[in-house]
Amino acid sequence: MRVHQPGGSLMRVRGAEVEDWSWNSTRRRLGVLWRLTKPYRLRTFLSVFSLLAATATALAPPLLAKRALDDAVNGTTGTALIVVVVVFVSLGLANWGMTYVETYMTGWVGERILADLRKQLFGHLQRLSLGFYERNRAGVLISRMTNDIEAIDQLVTDGITTLAQSTLMLSGTAFLLIFLDWELALVTLTVIPFMIIATVIFRVRSARAYSSVRERLGLVTATLAEDIAGMRMVQAFVREERATENFSTVARSYRDSNMETVVLNGLYFPFVSLLATLALAIVLGYGGHLYFQGAIVIGTLFAFMLYINNFFDPVQQLSQLYSTFLSATAALDKVIGVLDEKPEVVDRPGARPLPHISGRVRFEDVHFSYGLRGGEVGEEVLHGIDLDVPAGTTVALVGHTGAGKSTIAKLLARFYEPTSGRITIDGYDLNDVTMESLRRQLGIVPQEGFLFAGTVAENIAFAQPDATPEEIVRAAQTVGAHDFILRLEDGYETQLGERGSRLSLGQRQLVAFARALLADPRILILDEATSSVDIGTERTIERALRTLLADRTSFVIAHRLSTIRDADLIVVLEHGQVIEQGSHDELLALQGLYTSLYGDWAGAASAAG
Amino acid sequence: MSAVPYRRTFARLLSFLQPYKRGLAISAVLAVGSQAAQIALIWVTGRNVIDEALLKHNAQKLWLYVGIIAVLGVVSAVFMAGRRLISGKQALDVEMDMRQRLYSHFVRLSFGFYDRNQTGQLMSRATVDLQSVRFFLGYGLVFFFQNILTVASVTVVLFFFEWRLALIVLAVTPFLILLAYRYSHIAHPTLRDVQQKLADVATVTEENIVGVHVVKAFAQEPAEEEKFRVRNEALFRQTIRANRQRATYVPLLSFLPLLAQAAVLLLGARLVANGSLPIGYYVSFNLYLALLVTPLRSLGMWVGQAQRATASGERIFQILDEPEDVADRPDAVELPEGGGAIRFEDVSFSYLPGRPVLEDLDLALDAGTTVALIGHTGSGKTTLSSLVPRFYDVDSGRVLVDGADVRDVQLASLRRAIGVIAQDPFLFSTTVRDNIAFGLPELTDDEVERVATLAQAHEFIDRLPQGYDTVIGERGITLSGGQRQRIAIARALAVDPRILILDDATASVDATTEARIRAGLREVMQGRTTLIIAHRLSTIALADEVVVLDSGRVCARGTHDELLETSSIYREIYEHGLLERQFADEVESRAEVEEVA
Repeated sequence: MRVHQPGGSLMRVRGAEVEDWSWNSTRRRLGVLWRLTKPYRLRTFLSVFSLLAATATALAPPLLAKRALDDAVNGTTGTALIVVVVVFVSLGLANWGMTYVETYMTGWVGERILADLRKQLFGHLQRLSLGFYERNRAGVLISRMTNDIEAIDQLVTDGITTLAQSTLMLSGTAFLLIFLDWELALVTLTVIPFMIIATVIFRVRSARAYSSVRERLGLVTATLAEDIAGMRMVQAFVREERATENFSTVARSYRDSNMETVVLNGLYFPFVSLLATLALAIVLGYGGHLYFQGAIVIGTLFAFMLYINNFFDPVQQLSQLYSTFLSATAALDKVIGVLDEKPEVVDRPGARPLPHISGRVRFEDVHFSYGLRGGEVGEEVLHGIDLDVPAGTTVALVGHTGAGKSTIAKLLARFYEPTSGRITIDGYDLNDVTMESLRRQLGIVPQEGFLFAGTVAENIAFAQPDATPEEIVRAAQTVGAHDFILRLEDGYETQLGERGSRLSLGQRQLVAFARALLADPRILILDEATSSVDIGTERTIERALRTLLADRTSFVIAHRLSTIRDADLIVVLEHGQVIEQGSHDELLALQGLYTSLYGDWAGAASAAG
Repeated sequence: MSAVPYRRTFARLLSFLQPYKRGLAISAVLAVGSQAAQIALIWVTGRNVIDEALLKHNAQKLWLYVGIIAVLGVVSAVFMAGRRLISGKQALDVEMDMRQRLYSHFVRLSFGFYDRNQTGQLMSRATVDLQSVRFFLGYGLVFFFQNILTVASVTVVLFFFEWRLALIVLAVTPFLILLAYRYSHIAHPTLRDVQQKLADVATVTEENIVGVHVVKAFAQEPAEEEKFRVRNEALFRQTIRANRQRATYVPLLSFLPLLAQAAVLLLGARLVANGSLPIGYYVSFNLYLALLVTPLRSLGMWVGQAQRATASGERIFQILDEPEDVADRPDAVELPEGGGAIRFEDVSFSYLPGRPVLEDLDLALDAGTTVALIGHTGSGKTTLSSLVPRFYDVDSGRVLVDGADVRDVQLASLRRAIGVIAQDPFLFSTTVRDNIAFGLPELTDDEVERVATLAQAHEFIDRLPQGYDTVIGERGITLSGGQRQRIAIARALAVDPRILILDDATASVDATTEARIRAGLREVMQGRTTLIIAHRLSTIALADEVVVLDSGRVCARGTHDELLETSSIYREIYEHGLLERQFADEVESRAEVEEVA
């Protein structure tokens, strides 16, 4: 949907580049669009038909006005004139009706296609593997779904109609003029090349000018946003004057670049108006000449005067289309690129659902390297991991960033498959079971607990959308989130805002705990948050963790001392290998890496005293 | 919104045009001139070319009048160009004035204002609302005036030609204006809702993509698709609603003038036939009709525009009318010389009436000492430190710096004497150097390097792609929390303050670097009064003395060892907060050392 705004169409021009104009990719693009219209063929046909009819009826009035004038000149103002006026009004009514159908149907089909395309793209994104998401920046993917779809929108809902309508209007008018009097028509049409040349120059120059305006306006907005966000620092460091000065410079440079567009508009539009007047002068002058010769009647002159206005709008509109067309094609290519991506981790043929498990996890000589963009294989990050974790064990994964803690967690969730070796749960190889059945028995709590926009209740019930309110409340109570939730203005129905922005960090973690608890997974993977929260929440979280970890196999990427100390098994990783494993006391007795980490802490603690 | 303030807001908006009265007058004259030429050339077409030249077979007159028409066309175009250039430039100037007015007010508004208003809301006023106002003041008014002018003058001319036909035309105009106004009125909220629904779809998409690991982990792809489908369909329905409105109104707006034209065709032709209306008049009449349609349609739209601009203006004025609560008194003096002694005398403060954050607090800090502030969340640590640079004014009591009440000294001189290192250091997206020299732009490169070295930032800055000229935030150059904090420390040191306020929060600086920062801090704290809001043991170790705050009061004061003995709150914080954090820091921090090495 576009929002009408003068100059808006110019603002849309993007630096879009279409790389491939070969017939194959063109066919591919058309094929995608054609398939999308398939379910709506009747409506598509109706919109094409109404478009033709509407344009045809719009061409008629000057012709009828000529007839009326002819009648008046000849003195035949009886039934003939009434017929002309009746036809005039009926064609007007028909135009009204057809334009209604055309506007509605074209909009409907266009928007429907876009909704379907968005849905298809979103559905496809759901099936792609985590590897795809790690290779592509989130911002880029989001822009596929928003900016690119919008660029296609402009072509589908507006561009194609304008193209057809303007072309028909132009050629129809030219045809009628020639039909009325070819000699006068040819002379009058001599203004059209000037019009086209001026328009092309104007478009090219203003596309350039507007892109610089947009850039500088972007700078104005960015400066403003940053200075408002950092206003406290501006004031703390007494920078008010300099900041104001700097903003003035930015605002002035925007004004200056905008001045160019003012000049362009100020020259172009009067020029078009001048051309229209010149066309009128030509019609009157040359037409008068023909009239004196008796070659045409006054009515013909009259019709010409009314028709010449038809030329100017379509030429202007057509010239805008080119950039719309370019950016839409580029956008379509990018969207098709995503649709062409194949998921890397898929269910094997004959994969069976994982039955209800008790939760014994084994890693057997697991090696792993991440795939890179373009199908290459990166450096190996896990070198032969062996782990045997009895059901119900809490495992703390400890080690430096990059040691392989989160890779182990991702393999266990089968976001990736091991390069060699295997991972089993209760003896079932993860590669032989369906992903859905595996993940239904698995819970993940990411760092800082990722929340979605929506209510608190919806977030807790994320994995169990049919959970009853009682179950939701019970889960929240168990992790100690109930109290603060009740204090929110709408309790469990409070809207959390994007990514749960209305809650504090600690609160977000507690909601994520409740979510995991309600899902009641057999195996839990938890990435402990590193940011600090206040002491009250810290204690609640500590208690909640204990409840959450009880009675299930848990892998914790641990940062909290109490979590590590309480774990049944501590696995110390370094450079993709397990260096030490055992309980807290066993590891301290080993006098290895763990002891040195622990010792550093103890040292720091006593240094303070 | 009642009628009177509405009109007052509108009048106030117009006052932005005050400095441009002369330009406005010139544009108006040019607009009238251009319009007059347009009207005249149609007049000449009918009365002279057709009636005098063609019908009387006078070739000489034909060429004369055609020449006149061409000249009138040129005159009209030149006037139009002049008008566009002058009023276009003016529109840009007005826009710039408004932006600068708003900005210079923004920099004077105090911390309390920014606490109450989110950046997003303020931005929306400074961009969306400003856009609507400047569009109306810059272009809307001019077009509105021009349209009125066209409608009025053409109507007069029509009456002059043939009053009966003119009456018919006049009958259609109110409907056309009303219809256009109604469309603008209906379409605007619908379109705004379309934008909202678009944003909903974008939000679901964004969260789905950013939270992909959660979605996949819980096997919620089908539920996500359903969630998306619901939003997507809602968007579709809303767009279709907007589309139906367009389909209903826009074709009708073209049809109405056609009715008038039909009536003119019928009656006019009869008048021509019985000789009471010359053919030329008839032709001109029809051409005038075409001239009338667009302005009539636009008039209704502009009225809607004016309403929205006024509503936007109202929101902008709300900001411009916001008082500057923290400002220099008329008799404010320079901050007296001194070593940075701070005294809080009987200080009470609240952000919201009735919810005191600090109550009757007394605290004196000797010049040159280092004091750590400790307390639970909400105990008032950050608030207390914000009163020293007078980010807020106390409700009662006073805050003294080197013996002077902070309200009696010039804000600039007070704040120049204080270096602030905030909890989440805000850095600007400019070069590292400019960030460090933020408070003192004339700092030499050597001095910038010196303070960076003191803050233990020099080493990592040196390793950045362009060193001190690296632009923060550009091309994916992001700094870790620890690095940001070190730049913030350097920034505070750069102004050579006598008082240093350090809110040492979540930053995960590795152990080695932290030890170095500590050493650096120890050095720079020499000869300054330092107030540290401490969250870790190691920071407390820097302080000569620890002050424990509880519910807005000082509840204990002493050294670490003393407080462990005497203060139960301190003991609790020590055991559950400070120690617990330490291990996490330790494990993580080694990683950073490892990576660097």
